[in-house]
Formats: sequence, C-alpha cells, structure tokens
Amino acid sequence: MTQAEAPAKSNPGLFKRNPPIAGEAEAIEAAKNGDPEAFSKLYTLHKRRVYTLCLRMLGNVSEAEDMTQEAFLHLFRKLGSFRGESAFSTWLHRLTVNLVLMHLRKKGLNLVSLEETINPSEEDAPKRDFGSRDPVLASSVDRVALERAVGSLPPGYRMVFVLHDVEGFEHNEIATMLNCSTGNSKSQLHKARLRLRELLRENSDINLTEGEAA
Amino acid sequence: MALPEDINFDTLRPEEFERYLPDLFANGNGKVSQDPRLSKFLGEHPDCAALVSDLETIAAHARSLFKVSVDPSDKVWQNIQSKLQEGNTLEDEDEDLLPRSKQAELT
Repeated sequence: MTQAEAPAKSNPGLFKRNPPIAGEAEAIEAAKNGDPEAFSKLYTLHKRRVYTLCLRMLGNVSEAEDMTQEAFLHLFRKLGSFRGESAFSTWLHRLTVNLVLMHLRKKGLNLVSLEETINPSEEDAPKRDFGSRDPVLASSVDRVALERAVGSLPPGYRMVFVLHDVEGFEHNEIATMLNCSTGNSKSQLHKARLRLRELLRENSDINLTEGEAA
Repeated sequence: MALPEDINFDTLRPEEFERYLPDLFANGNGKVSQDPRLSKFLGEHPDCAALVSDLETIAAHARSLFKVSVDPSDKVWQNIQSKLQEGNTLEDEDEDLLPRSKQAELT
C-alpha cells in the first residue's frame, strides 16, 4: 500500500466537515464495478473539493489541475480498496494530500528535512524581531491579501500553514505526512505565520502609501 | 524546541518568549493571548503582545481562507477520460514516489 492509500486517521474535525453526500454510496459501489457513469458522478461530486485542496497546497492553477487529474486517476485505480471505514470525502482528501506531497518530493522538494532544505534564503526568512504594534493586523485581515500572501510563501512554509491552519491537521499528523518531527512542524508553522505577518504589513504599507499618493 | 516544564513566567524575557512561542501556540490551542501565565508578561511587553495578536489574527483568518472554491477547467475531466480510455492510470509510477522506508511505515 502506498502513502496515498493510507487510511484516514481518526480526526473529528475532518469527519465533521465531511457528511455523506446523497447518492454517493451507490456511485462508489457502481464505480467499483467499472460503471463509467458512476465514476463521472464521483468526479462531479468531488472535483471542486479536490481541486481547491490542490490549489491551496500548490498555489498554482496549472499544477493544481494536473494534480486533480492525478488524484482522480489514482482514485479510479484504488477505489476498490475503499472500505468505508471513514467518510469517502475524508479518504479522498487524504489521498489527495498524500499525492500532492509525493508530487512535491518527486519535484525535488525534500520534505523530510524541512528546516535544511526548504528554508528560504536569509533575505526571505521571516525577521525575528517583534516589530511595532500594527493596528491593521490586530483587528482584521483582508482575505484576498492573506490568500495572496499565502500564495507567495515558500513551498515548505505554505504546506505546513495550509495543512495546519487551513485544513486543520494536527502537528503530529503533519509530522507523519511530511516525515519530520512535530517540533519541526511547529517551527515551520510559526515561521510561516511570521512571514505572512511581514507580507501583510508590507502590503498595508503599500496600500497606505498609495492612499497618501492619491 | 520543546517547552520546558520549569519556565518562570514572572522572569520571562522577550527572546525566551520568542523561542517558546511555537510551542506556546501549539500547546494552548492557538490562544496564547488568553494564557493566564503570560498575562503579566504580555502586559509589560506590548510588542510581544502585538506579535501574539497578529499571529492569532492570521491563524483565525486562515480558517476562512479559500472558502470560495472553484471548479477545475473542463480539460481536466477530458484528460481523465482520455487516460482511462488509454488504460493509463499511472499504475507503474506512483509506487516509487516515496522512499521505501516511508511506504513501509504507512502500510
């Protein structure tokens, strides 16, 4: 069994988010028996969720579409091993996460040693000073600005941030997926948030400057 | 680094706080600002309090990120259909994507 087929671990947060979908169980059984219409229905039911997840993790439309394609091809091949021990959407979610991680490894992003291999260069690394109080971030963050900032994070930071803060995985789960220590996962998440803070502050400075110029 | 059990929160210095912050966030369900052990320290160090506030804001807003989900383009399904018709579902490729040790660990 490959990592992409690893059964979903118990995660109440994820199960809560993934209630059964009407007609899904029948479609799964029919698709297991080779019914192309049923597989098409599974694609229709889950394409948005899978694609959005890929997009969050990769931050790139083209790659996200490629990985969506891979995820469903993998699903087609492995559907027979789905035994309904977790919600199908949870199983597919984890399958997709694992495929994206394998894709990144294949590309040369060594997630085994996050700290050494995907730490950004010194000038890109989040500054370690506290900075001064910023009233913009203290109250509210513009969603679009934050999404843009997440998209510009180095891949390793973005991966841990998306898995933990957006997807709700625990550090121990992330550590298992990325084959690193929980301490490393915590550290990467912290650095990702620090970097986001910097990016958002820079963004608010730019907006302020533009506003003053106007 | 793991959070030491014998931290003296009354004499905590900003640089120590910064070092412990990843664990403080992880251990306190992300609510460092509500940790009673830190109330005095954060009150005395407004820059640290601002940092905590900002990081909590970022984490809180992350939950609502990407809520606007979008469909992949039609070509994704076309490609899937095409691959399925060719009988090419990458059966031979994905087994080698992970180190063997990792594959064994996850089976």
